Amino acid sequence: MADNTHSQESSKGVQTTGHVWDGDLQELNNPLPVWWTYTFYATMVFALVYWLVYPSWPIGKGFLPGMNSISYVNAAGEEESWHWNTRAKLLKETQDAVIAQKTYYDKIASLSYEQIANDPELSSFILSAGKAVFSDNCAACHQSGGQGKVGFFPNLTDDDWLYGGSYEEINASLTKGRHGYMPAYGEALDGAQIDQLAHYVFSLSGGNADAEKAAKGKQLFHAHAGACYYCHGDDAKGRKILGSANLTDQVWLWADVPGASDDVMKIDAIKKIIAGGLDRGVMPAWEGRLSADQIKLLTVYVHELGGGK
Amino acid sequence: MSATSVAAAEQYDYEIIKKFSIMAIVWGVVGMSAGVFIASQLAWPFLNFDSPYLSFGRFRPVHTGAVIFGFGGSALFATSYYVVQRTCQTRLFAPGLATFTFWGWQAVIVLAALSYVMGFSQGREYAEMEWPIDLLILFVWVAYGAVFIGTLMKRKQPHIYVANWFYLSFILVTALLHTFNNLAVPVNLFSLKSYSLFSGAQDAMTQWWYGHNAVGFFLTAAFLGMMYYFVPKHAGRPIYSYRLSIVHFWALSFMYMWVGTHHLHWTALPDWASTLGATFSIMLLLPSWGGMINGIMTLSGAWDKLRTDPIMRFMIVALSFYGMSTFEGPLMSLKDVNALSHYTDWTVGHVHSGALGWVAMIAFGSLYHMIPKLWKTEIFSVRLINAHFWLATIGTLLYITAMWISGISQGLMWRAFDDFGNLQYSFVESVAAMHPFYAMRAIGGMFFLSGMLLMAYNIFATIRQGVRDADATQARSAAAAA
Repeated sequence: MADNTHSQESSKGVQTTGHVWDGDLQELNNPLPVWWTYTFYATMVFALVYWLVYPSWPIGKGFLPGMNSISYVNAAGEEESWHWNTRAKLLKETQDAVIAQKTYYDKIASLSYEQIANDPELSSFILSAGKAVFSDNCAACHQSGGQGKVGFFPNLTDDDWLYGGSYEEINASLTKGRHGYMPAYGEALDGAQIDQLAHYVFSLSGGNADAEKAAKGKQLFHAHAGACYYCHGDDAKGRKILGSANLTDQVWLWADVPGASDDVMKIDAIKKIIAGGLDRGVMPAWEGRLSADQIKLLTVYVHELGGGK
Repeated sequence: MSATSVAAAEQYDYEIIKKFSIMAIVWGVVGMSAGVFIASQLAWPFLNFDSPYLSFGRFRPVHTGAVIFGFGGSALFATSYYVVQRTCQTRLFAPGLATFTFWGWQAVIVLAALSYVMGFSQGREYAEMEWPIDLLILFVWVAYGAVFIGTLMKRKQPHIYVANWFYLSFILVTALLHTFNNLAVPVNLFSLKSYSLFSGAQDAMTQWWYGHNAVGFFLTAAFLGMMYYFVPKHAGRPIYSYRLSIVHFWALSFMYMWVGTHHLHWTALPDWASTLGATFSIMLLLPSWGGMINGIMTLSGAWDKLRTDPIMRFMIVALSFYGMSTFEGPLMSLKDVNALSHYTDWTVGHVHSGALGWVAMIAFGSLYHMIPKLWKTEIFSVRLINAHFWLATIGTLLYITAMWISGISQGLMWRAFDDFGNLQYSFVESVAAMHPFYAMRAIGGMFFLSGMLLMAYNIFATIRQGVRDADATQARSAAAAA
């Protein structure tokens, strides 16, 4: 099989190496393609240049630093210069951005909320920087447009505010965070009572509730047994100081009433909250994570989302 | 006539190769189905069904494990046992050990997939298997090395054929990579959980030294070995240049070892290490192309085969994708290009132009060539191969085009600043922008998978036909004897 006459087979006159495997496998003895060889050398030259420009070979405890350098003015106003490195590049880019935005942030720090909102140049900046800071920090819960999510996170674009919608109140919510809480009545009240309360609450915002049940619910609401008025107020319009919800409007946060298909389901959604209570209305404090100026900027941004008071 | 065919059957040990070939097809179907499933999850997240067992995070290593180690690995075992016997003109050394490599390797794939679905993972890409499976891999691999090297040593040919160098380097380097990357301390003897011996940047560097050399030696060198046997054999032409094969083999083996750090640009890895990774990646370009040139030039003078022979077409298109992705890789390893491409779908697209375009297609071509020979028959349907070829090519192109667009869009959106120097897009906006391309990628995957299903049917029919013919021949000779 390993017929040696076959090994003399040639292509364009090129000889094979004379070896034959598996009956017919042979190799021509072509030289390396010239373009291949020179391009290979060119990549080596490229590598050499790259080594000279960037930090490269380790030597002893250090390494060749490369000829490329990075310099910038640091936060203290001093000029710093480094051989090229990833960290210095990040510091430089961050510092350049801080310097570029400094005039805006200085103005934000010195002006009142109203002045900021009425300054055309500054309010364009707020729209841009506010969106960036909001997207990075707030959108995970309140969604990218601030529209929130029924059952979980408040809508920031309407004029309904649990803790108040003035600049100062929004700023306080941002700085210190919030923790909404409602006790569970599942054990304190029996099923019929919870049903009556739910009918009453549903009727407060114009819901189609059973009048008889709602009347009994109203008594529970204002009596010692339910004591709902203590947090939600005698008028059931909520109290900003506690963050308790206004029950007389059509805005629902915790009970997914708008998402329920019929009145029975809507009342069930309310009953679930009364029976189970709430302990998930937690918004973290941004003090320490964001600068005071960034919080001020966010305050104006959130206020301008549509519902600020 | 029947006497010679019996002699030929006994000349080489084909049973083990048949087993591995069948499993390559089975794992191809399983792994690519898992791939289509997770690609669809990214486009349509409800497909996670809120179940941890079906979640993307657990199914992703099921996909990569089944295609790389199941499909790719079984194809490599099969072809390496075939090539080493035929080019050494001898039977396998220690056939019992070879049988162990089959059952051991299949157990590895099954156990790994089950453990991922159950939530066990080392969290090391392509090395997710926990320590007991790692130990099983080690035993299988030592046995594989013994069978392969033992067979080389008892060869009846004076020279070792080039394909075997590549297979051998793959076996040796995989042993080295697997051992060092999986050095870990189990929490206790009966716990599947373990902790890596390395930490921090060193841990990351060890992982990517493994990760990129798994690409370099498992998915490149080994498949080049496949190419060096099946392309000249199928084309009936000599290898274009013996010298080029030597030079590019050693250059490839030397350069690959350095490049893993290009996966860790712009991280806590020291800058000098990342520079070396980038430059060795650039210097790897021509050594990689050496294999492509040798493969494609081998066909010179027989180009007409491309028109008539879909198997040849698979091989040549595989080499073209190989050339393209080994050009793209060095480009992406440059610090400034990587600043755009890193963490984006561009990387995913790059991997798949190599994995679908090169690895899978060269394996398809080789299996189509080899399987009929194993069962001593003809392929059931050339037209089905042709259909498979077009489905695979269109699928690959759809996949990588979708990932180029989405990857570059992601990179650009993440670094876009407005006039005030603030980020122009939030992350979730970039996610939303990816949706059409994720859908396109899933469709590309479906094309590729349908081709794989055609192959499975074609191979099944071929084997059935081979077995029937063998039975008929046997019956005839029995009748003649009577």
